[in-house]
Amino acid sequence: MGARGGIWPAVYARMHWILLGLAALLPAVDLLLPPEFRLADLVRPIFIFAVLGMGLNIVTGFTGLLNLGVAAFMAIGAYTYAIATCDIYPFQLGFWTALPLTIAVGAAAGIILGLPTIRLKGDYLAIVTMGFGEMVQDSLKNLDVITKGTQGINPLPSPTLFGYVFKPETPLPWYYLFLALLAVVVLLTRNLERSRIGRTWASIREDELAATCMGINSMKAKLLAFAIGASFCSMAGGLWGAYLGSSGEPGNYDFQISIIALCIVIVGGMGSVSGVLLGAFVMIGFNAILLTKLTAFLAQHGWTSSDNVFTSPSNWKYMMFGLALILMMRFKPEGLLPSRRVKAELHEYDKDVPRQAGGATT
Amino acid sequence: MGGPLLKAEAIRAGYGPIEALKGLSLSVAPGEIVTLIGANGAGKSSTLLCISGIHPIRSGAIHFDGERIDKLPAHDIVKRGLVQVPEGRRIFPRLTVLENLQLGAYLRKDLDGIKNDFERVFALFPILAERRAQAGGTLSGGEQQMLAIGRAVMSKPRLLLMDEPSMGIAPVLTAKIFDTIRELNQQGLTILLVEQNAHLALQLAQRAYVLETGQIVLEGPAQELLADPRVRKSYLGEE
Repeated sequence: MGARGGIWPAVYARMHWILLGLAALLPAVDLLLPPEFRLADLVRPIFIFAVLGMGLNIVTGFTGLLNLGVAAFMAIGAYTYAIATCDIYPFQLGFWTALPLTIAVGAAAGIILGLPTIRLKGDYLAIVTMGFGEMVQDSLKNLDVITKGTQGINPLPSPTLFGYVFKPETPLPWYYLFLALLAVVVLLTRNLERSRIGRTWASIREDELAATCMGINSMKAKLLAFAIGASFCSMAGGLWGAYLGSSGEPGNYDFQISIIALCIVIVGGMGSVSGVLLGAFVMIGFNAILLTKLTAFLAQHGWTSSDNVFTSPSNWKYMMFGLALILMMRFKPEGLLPSRRVKAELHEYDKDVPRQAGGATT
Repeated sequence: MGGPLLKAEAIRAGYGPIEALKGLSLSVAPGEIVTLIGANGAGKSSTLLCISGIHPIRSGAIHFDGERIDKLPAHDIVKRGLVQVPEGRRIFPRLTVLENLQLGAYLRKDLDGIKNDFERVFALFPILAERRAQAGGTLSGGEQQMLAIGRAVMSKPRLLLMDEPSMGIAPVLTAKIFDTIRELNQQGLTILLVEQNAHLALQLAQRAYVLETGQIVLEGPAQELLADPRVRKSYLGEE
């Protein structure tokens, strides 16, 4: 395990900071490129989805509870943020008050979902969380007195920081705003992972009965994972609302969002913070950057048009998603940047550690 | 000496329509090693799971150090010093040896005491010190059993329940593990041991219970049971 020397293990352990650092440099690199190759604008949604992935990673990656309803928490976050800030409601809070509120409401929603369901195991829990996702989406649609139904809540005011106003037409400040908030989430997640509660979550994921034998109250620990995970997902929703200048409409937070979040965690590497960052980059980057650029490129040369089903890359999106996932699961099931622990699970434990002679078979 | 440290009275428990324990009673005095022997399916593991609160009992009562514990959740029972080394070891395979031991000390706040117990566990099982940075799953079966015992010792138990520590382990290591159990007992730890290897268990323990289909059929000093013709026939493989 990393004992093979060199600086690689140390680099690998800090990969999340390296990735964030590269992201911080991206706008500078962009200046050297012709406008059609610039990426920074398109990268902003990646940061938001990385926050969403961090939330799911706590529940699914660290604690081992499959959650298929994170879109619901994102929706709750976006609508909380919208209701708190939009001038058609009486609150009209600023970004820096509304965001913590969004996080708190997300945590409360996590506990409300968790309390009655946390005793369920495996697939059963996954199905309940999936149902919760549908429930929230439909509620937002039908509670139109509060949520404006399918119109969504808009426009939302621009965030401000020390008097500076983040305007939609200047993307660069937004870029660093989201990057900084993502860095805070990464820092928090890393600290959680390495703390006593992180070890507790890992023990529950590995063997709940053995964890109970150590005196761990697994219900409490799981509920905490749910609450913290939901608060990050809700924060992602709040950022999404700020980014769009709108709550979005309920249909934006459908099952597909939950699946994309799960793909981010799986492709990146379950339980791996740097993996989630890279996973978000790959999954959202593919969708928001590669396909957009490719479509524009093809259209420019007259090789495709938006009404041609066969030549427009966007129409091949899910086909390529699916293929990528199949290849991934076949060749690198532990993810692109796996956590040490999960890697050990999927590859033979004892490959690089010679088993002591005389040890018995089990 | 006061009353028994552990006292189970007429406990009944089951899984759906199947009754696994049919009014079982046993007691363990402070400082003893007591063993519970019996065939597969006799209810040995169920007894331990009920005592440590993981499986509920349907009737009867369990007292630990005079306090009734059969309604408490499992993690609260651990807090009182009643700790189980579960069957099949169940170490955390992807956590390191050190992390496994740290989880053993999960409920403790006394940093000095924890540090001492690390030393103690590493003195009992030097191999664990050597492999402290390795994932638990990379250890051999015997080493994993050592880790499971070490992890339980880290939680500073007053009564240790051990379920089949010899299961799936080479005889050489089994002997080493039984030596350690004796050593822990000499250091003052009370132990309730469940074993299929009746011969080893009866040599180690002071008292024993023989369990058959959810009931105690025989009990007494281990040496006497070792000589009992019924035990020799059923559990020690003699004609």
